[in-house]
Amino acid sequence: MSQYKPKVVCFSCKFGWGYLTDEDTLSSKIENWIPIICTGKIDATHMIDAFDEGADGILILGCPEGDCHYQDGNYEAKKRVYLLRRLLESIGIEKERIRIELSIDPEGRRIPQLVKEMSKELAKLGPLKRGAAAEEMPKEAIKARGGK
Amino acid sequence: MAKPKVAICWLGACGGCDEAVVDINEVLLRVADAVDLILWPVALDFKYDSVKDMKDGEIVLSVVNGNVRNSEQEEIAKLLREKSQLVLGFGACACLGGTPGLANLTTKEDIFNWVYRDAPTVVNPKGNYPQTSSRVNGKELTLPEFYDHVYALNDIIDVDYYLPGCPPPPYSVMYAVSAVLENKLPPKGSTLAPHRALCDTCKRNKSKPDRLAIKEIKRIHEVEAAPDTCFLAQGIICLGPATRDGCGESCIDINIPCRGCFGPVEGVADSGAKFVSALASILDAQSEEDIARIVDQIIDPVGYLYRFSLPVSILRKRRG
Repeated sequence: MSQYKPKVVCFSCKFGWGYLTDEDTLSSKIENWIPIICTGKIDATHMIDAFDEGADGILILGCPEGDCHYQDGNYEAKKRVYLLRRLLESIGIEKERIRIELSIDPEGRRIPQLVKEMSKELAKLGPLKRGAAAEEMPKEAIKARGGK
Repeated sequence: MAKPKVAICWLGACGGCDEAVVDINEVLLRVADAVDLILWPVALDFKYDSVKDMKDGEIVLSVVNGNVRNSEQEEIAKLLREKSQLVLGFGACACLGGTPGLANLTTKEDIFNWVYRDAPTVVNPKGNYPQTSSRVNGKELTLPEFYDHVYALNDIIDVDYYLPGCPPPPYSVMYAVSAVLENKLPPKGSTLAPHRALCDTCKRNKSKPDRLAIKEIKRIHEVEAAPDTCFLAQGIICLGPATRDGCGESCIDINIPCRGCFGPVEGVADSGAKFVSALASILDAQSEEDIARIVDQIIDPVGYLYRFSLPVSILRKRRG
């Protein structure tokens, strides 16, 4: 049996990540890498679309807090990710499938490393389950409704 | 010339959509004059067999409300598709899966166990569960098969036009029916409602501050909402920014925030995700703990954001 390899889509801000390295060189080391200008641009629909296209997880790399070129795009992204993670949880999808890190790495050496780390974590979860019914109604939910 | 044949039918529905048709009041009599109603289970006594005897495409328009959750609903949907030139998906359930679509968060087994065993009002000592076929006095009795998933109408058949809403307001029913009869229809696949978001026409929009900043999220029953002020400005979740306009704001008028029954605006596939972006941007949180504190005040995020659209949401849609 071939080993399951999760697909990680990585969005990173060009202002903080890998701007000193040639984009082509870096992109040959990172599968599904989407360098963008400002993480604040990443709409929740983009993240959901990534899942729709087959991603098992999404990694967002933004600039350090307080260092956004556009004032607070990274912070907006952080709020969005937090809210979307809550939504995923309540839909029955593991929140660990979306991660955001606010930091800086001009040469972008850490990007492949971070993708690999996330991929390792995702391998434990297995492929994204879409459209499947929730595993089982939690016992607490049954009790809360007055059941046995 | 023979009058055009029209069918109105319910699948997995509550009857509210049929009620919305009746709510066009005396205009209904004019509609009845203009068309030949050949099927309307909730109001008139016609048989499915007489529809089966019709030629393909003999029905000009089928107005179908409700979602598909069992084999009978699927069979009727397919029958009407075959016999109709146009199918109008009517109401939130047909267009988006509707509120019953939230059942997709639960398995079929859990639903049966609850309804036939665990609910406190159930008395079922023999542990009987519905069967698709059973023998009684030597005769076979059948029931439709209950599927493990709620489907929107276009998961099952091709749908030509959509009219969302829970239920669609009477004037939009009129608009849809006359557009078909007068042959003034937009391109196939269109939703017969405006393209913009509800906030664009909301009367409360003017009360919105320049920059919305939510520090606390409140539920509508916990506060006395000001009658003319934007709900979001009051910290009450209102799905207006991500919901299609066209409902006539009947909820807003009675001081209830939008729940999203008109589905996503034109060009958006997943209204829940769109609302996540809208809501996140107006949360006024100063720190990570603050974000967590405010967001965790949302009880049941999936119920709020996909109340009417879970079966068509990207993450919960059943594929292939």
